[in-house]
Amino acid sequence: MSEGSTPQGKHPTHSVAPALRSLVPVLVVLTLIALVPLLSPSNRFLSLAISAGINVIALYGLSVLFGQTGILSMGHAALVGVGAYTAAILARDFGVGFWLALPVAALTSAVFAMIVGIPSLRVGGHHFVIMTFAFGQLLAIVLTNGGDYTGAATGLDMVGPVNLFGADMGDLTRYYLMVVAFVAVAAVASWAIINSSYGRTLRAIRENEKLAASLGINVGRHKIGAFVVSGVFAGISGVLLANFLGHISPTQFASFPSIYLALMVMIGGARLITGPLAGGILVAFLPEVLNLDPVQSRIVYGVCLIAVILLLPDGLIAGIAAFVRKVFTAKSKERQRQENGVVSNPSEARR
Amino acid sequence: MKTVLKMGASAAFCLGALAHPACAEDNIVKIGVVAAESGSFVSAGHTLPAGVGLAVKQINDAGGIKVGGKTYKLEMVKRDDRTDIATAIAATQELVRDVKVQAIFGSETHDFTLAMAKITQPAKVIHFAGNSTLAKILTPDSVKPGGEDHYLFQSEPQEFQRSGSTARGVLTLLEPLLGYKPKKSVMIVGNDATGQFLSSYYFKALKAEGQDVPDIIFYPPDTTDFSPFLTRAKSLNPDIIHFWYNGDSTLTALPQALELGAAKSYFLFGVDPGIWKEKALTADVPVAMSCVPVCWGESSNPKAKAYFDAYFAAGAPHGVTSSVSLLYHDYVHFLAEAWEKAGSFDPDKTVEALLSIHHQGVVSDDLTFNPTHQVTHATEVCAAAPGGDISCSMQQPPAEAPKS
Repeated sequence: MSEGSTPQGKHPTHSVAPALRSLVPVLVVLTLIALVPLLSPSNRFLSLAISAGINVIALYGLSVLFGQTGILSMGHAALVGVGAYTAAILARDFGVGFWLALPVAALTSAVFAMIVGIPSLRVGGHHFVIMTFAFGQLLAIVLTNGGDYTGAATGLDMVGPVNLFGADMGDLTRYYLMVVAFVAVAAVASWAIINSSYGRTLRAIRENEKLAASLGINVGRHKIGAFVVSGVFAGISGVLLANFLGHISPTQFASFPSIYLALMVMIGGARLITGPLAGGILVAFLPEVLNLDPVQSRIVYGVCLIAVILLLPDGLIAGIAAFVRKVFTAKSKERQRQENGVVSNPSEARR
Repeated sequence: MKTVLKMGASAAFCLGALAHPACAEDNIVKIGVVAAESGSFVSAGHTLPAGVGLAVKQINDAGGIKVGGKTYKLEMVKRDDRTDIATAIAATQELVRDVKVQAIFGSETHDFTLAMAKITQPAKVIHFAGNSTLAKILTPDSVKPGGEDHYLFQSEPQEFQRSGSTARGVLTLLEPLLGYKPKKSVMIVGNDATGQFLSSYYFKALKAEGQDVPDIIFYPPDTTDFSPFLTRAKSLNPDIIHFWYNGDSTLTALPQALELGAAKSYFLFGVDPGIWKEKALTADVPVAMSCVPVCWGESSNPKAKAYFDAYFAAGAPHGVTSSVSLLYHDYVHFLAEAWEKAGSFDPDKTVEALLSIHHQGVVSDDLTFNPTHQVTHATEVCAAAPGGDISCSMQQPPAEAPKS
């Protein structure tokens, strides 16, 4: 069950307070994550955390698309690539810095999402997945064969530092904190979408497209809109990635990274606001913590994915939350039963 | 009593000093390695720590290096990049900022190296990488003192040199086996960063040798069915099909090419004659092979046998690209010599020394870096006759790039 919806299929509540409750855990976790540099972590950890955070931003976009609208994109890394290449080309050709590149790259990725979305969303379900996958592959081919303009297969260097109020964000800790701030903004934006009337419209489409259309909802336009919104998140993620790595190439945005993004959002859970954060962190740090090589990682991810699909269809976090809820409900029922038992037991009363 | 207390304090201090790791590490110089020890690039990746590790052991066994009147031992600190750029970057950050290595070797993947250099160069860490594609960034401006790549060195020859040596060697060795002078060549190339970069130079090198090259056929990386590309190549009736990069794909493509009878002879880039023998490969037409830079299965280089005996004895597996280890092994010795000559680990003095030394390595008795930090040496090419005999020769690079 997603945020903003209520049990027993009742109309969603319009009160902000209950909805805010779903945002609090994410903000608490992000605050704790922001305090990590106080523990003097290794630079390896910070670097991996930055990469994970950049992915999480794209995942929040993907969660709007997949979690709310029910559309799975297998070419999402390509939209991240559009953002990254836009930032790199703007910096190289026009000397455009990080902060101006952000909105331009977000807009460019959104436009690309719309261009792909219009023909792709005429087909549904599995066909859409295949079309987005093809888009990802196509973009990699275009970038690989783009000559000097895209740097061909060699890719492009990022030119120029990232500054914020005069401070050089090239320092790893500062960049980490900046990425955490962007993740927080992405989470709040995603939460705002989920809890808006637009979010409810998207969920209506997800639950029953024909019924939604019969209620006067322009299904096609809203689906494209969701894809465009997810493109904005991807574009921002791309700018952050390009500036962090300092060099980008087509292979970073081809099919495998897209599959990984989809995997992260599915494992974490696309319908909960905590899902993308959990999925991004889990997939980034699992090989590191368990010292898995890529083959072992893929096996573990595959098993996780099957387990999540079969046992926890709303993702790991939703599954854990449901389990905790179940345990607490069972305990409270048991307590209530015992209390009732004490009062209603005639022999006890006689004593 | 005072004396006893003093002795006790001294003993405690010494014991404490011995227990403190900094005391033990004072005479150790750390060299970082970032390589794909797992993932899709593992075949080339494992050669990097194997080559560096062997050189480190050889130097330490010989007593270490003497810098500024003090003797130091080397320590290799390797990190697996899992063929993943985020892990490669994290590993580089760790080696440069946490481990504080004096030099770093890797990676064997071009775009990883470029991203790594964004970390190593501002930190003034000497960085060696065997990617000939580095020519794109190693310019007189970028390598000058204060330039953004002043501490970056390319341990593989410039591509016009490698392509030139290889093209000349392939044509020279195949001509007697074919019984006539080959005139027409077709290239089949992997369509990725390295493939695109390398093929443009090899195309020019073949043209410079008088070859008619009607087409360069690109195949997507990870292709397993080469028949569409081979059918296209066969229609051009070539004397030689050149499988230019990479060795693993080439070994998949060759049996398909032989079955189709796509050409009168073949050239396999980066496939060692050792693999040809171990896999008991045969062909009814001549097949040339090249190694980067010296072959281990059969070699005309007098130092190669001793090197590869030690390399494989240290536990490295026999692989298509085992010889790539030489793009790193020689440069650990080269760097050690530079530190000794500079009398310091100061990166600027080390760069000066690296640029002035003529180092005697396995690959060449005269390894030097040019002003743009690129090395020059010969490349070995071998050819297997239809009967199975293999002959090899070291081909010197052309002095200048061919005019297009």
